Amino acid sequence: MFVAFPVVFSVVLTFHKWNIIAPMEYTGLNNYILLFNDKIFLKSVGNTLIFLLIHIPLQIIIALFIAEILNQKIKLKGAFRGAFFLPVIVSGVVVTILWQQLYGFDTGLFNRLLTGIGLGKIGWLTDPDIAMASIAVMATWKNVGLYIILFLVGLQTVPTQYYEAADLEGANHWQKFFKITLPMINPTIFMVVILSTIGGFSLFIEPYIMTGGGPLNSTISAVLYIYKQGFFYYHMGYAATLGLFFAFIILAVVVVQKKFIEKDH
Amino acid sequence: MKRFFINITLLIIISLSLQSCNSGNGSSDSKLIYWCSNNSYEIQFAKELTEKWNKNNKDVSVKYQPVPEGRSSEEIILAAVVGKTTPDIYSNMWQGDVEVYAQAGVLIALDTIPGFLEFLAERCDSEVVEEIKSLDGHIYQIPWKINPIMLIYNEKMISNLGLSNPPKTYAEFFEASAKFQKDIDGDGYIDRWFGYSEVLVTWWQRFFDFYPLYLAASDGAPLVKENKAVFNNEYGVAVFKFLRTLYKKNYFSKEQLSARQDVFLSEIIATRFTGPWEIAHADKFKPKGFEYNFSCIPVPDDHKGPVYTYGDPKNIVIFKTCKKPQAAWEYVKTLIDRDGDLKLLQLTNQLPRRKNISTISFFSSYFEQNPKMKIFANQSKYVRGTDASPVLKEVFDLISQEYEACVIYGMKTPEQAVKDASDAVDLLFLK
Repeated sequence: MFVAFPVVFSVVLTFHKWNIIAPMEYTGLNNYILLFNDKIFLKSVGNTLIFLLIHIPLQIIIALFIAEILNQKIKLKGAFRGAFFLPVIVSGVVVTILWQQLYGFDTGLFNRLLTGIGLGKIGWLTDPDIAMASIAVMATWKNVGLYIILFLVGLQTVPTQYYEAADLEGANHWQKFFKITLPMINPTIFMVVILSTIGGFSLFIEPYIMTGGGPLNSTISAVLYIYKQGFFYYHMGYAATLGLFFAFIILAVVVVQKKFIEKDH
Repeated sequence: MKRFFINITLLIIISLSLQSCNSGNGSSDSKLIYWCSNNSYEIQFAKELTEKWNKNNKDVSVKYQPVPEGRSSEEIILAAVVGKTTPDIYSNMWQGDVEVYAQAGVLIALDTIPGFLEFLAERCDSEVVEEIKSLDGHIYQIPWKINPIMLIYNEKMISNLGLSNPPKTYAEFFEASAKFQKDIDGDGYIDRWFGYSEVLVTWWQRFFDFYPLYLAASDGAPLVKENKAVFNNEYGVAVFKFLRTLYKKNYFSKEQLSARQDVFLSEIIATRFTGPWEIAHADKFKPKGFEYNFSCIPVPDDHKGPVYTYGDPKNIVIFKTCKKPQAAWEYVKTLIDRDGDLKLLQLTNQLPRRKNISTISFFSSYFEQNPKMKIFANQSKYVRGTDASPVLKEVFDLISQEYEACVIYGMKTPEQAVKDASDAVDLLFLK
């Protein structure tokens, strides 16, 4: 009931024009026609994919690198693990506002560091070519702690005998990493990919607070655009159509990823 | 058996919840519900006037309550309309929202209430009456208060530029901006700008740059008329050109400065487009020796006559759920008669939308004590609200998209950007 009704209602809505307060008006396939001619929505889907292309590899590489270090016998291991996990439990809004300050053109820390070493300032959030990458870096910093934990669990399940055998064969650290570690933690990598993909598709708070979707719609994500259509302009029918279409895109991506996982297994 | 009792209990709870939702804020026959804004000054205003009313009107009492907490009062009102839990009276309705509710049939046509038009004619200019008329010719809102957008300026900074007055025209504004901009820390980047306006594309941000400038340049011309965009004209283009130059020459910052310490009070900028709410804020937080004042919105160099601006009007409406519209109107009259208006000024420092308010002796003692509010009162004769249109937010959004492309990033010429915005608005009306 709690799942079926909203889903069915959303599908019904896609054939209507409705601003919540006035009665629904049947419009046939009009919302679907609008969708395929809506350049901003198509751009928002493209932006989301760009975000994923930057965010997922960056997240996996950093998380795996740090997890590998934290899996070694180092001092204050527990403290480091806690420190890396801390951003995950901090409110997304707080993190976003903090990074907005770091990215500030004149007063931001990053630009101060750049000018400190004689380089020019960068419009982290005001340059349309860079803004989405800046958001992806911030989102990676925020979420990487969770994936470090997942990779740590994965690394600890690799039997130590494999490494001992490799040592006897004279394998170096990189060989052991690529020939033993990576294949053994493949399921974890795929789980991280799927979780990051789903999380990435729901990109909302970061562009909503940091850029409002600008500059020049370069950071407007699909979810932010759907939200704007629904709750700024009360185009409920159209927002439902966008939501349904976007759900199919997510479904398609997840199905493709699932195929990869099954193939690998 | 246990499951049966759990199910019955759940059913009773749900029924009671729905029942309470249904009864919501609906007034009883003898009591009217009035939702006021939830800031403490307006709550005090509502409290004092409601107590006075209830003392003199035993047969129809009024219960005031602040609009319930939410992300915005607009959303709360929308939720109340959808849930049919609207109050009888609501003040603080943004003028641009009224047309949507009027078309949805949830507001009372106030011009059908005996005595309404006569009262309105006495309180407001005929221009205001015309402005608040809905597309169906009826009036669904009572003009209540305005916050005209003007240019706030740092007096010392302006005088340091060798100017005795703040810039009035675009040419004067450019000249002052060029003299003012500085690179204080010597890193090769400007870090002191003459002004600042939010660079975000959010539709309502244009109330603080494009829209007041457009009204000033065009002597209060509309943006849309009879379901057609009418801003693709010399004024729309002139305003885009003016703003584009400000950003192109770095007179205004492209960076979002609002997230840090107040840039006006910390003397990072010398001017800003703002409303009378800035007075209380500036007086509270200004550093020692900081002096500021207000002036009209800049206009094109060949402009003659009074300078219009956006008034940010907030009005009063009576919902159709009200069982006693005549009594509700009688109560509303006490909020907006002379005594009510004076109380509004004294308690909230907000300007009633009353004609000639700056020259009526009844209010003179207030303005003598609050000389900066007198500037806004003088301006109040030349303010415009918003055009009657159910898609006003989309109109401002479309303008905002082109504004960003042209003004902030210089990717389009002003002529092209204004034309594209106008075409997009026309298309919006065709949908």
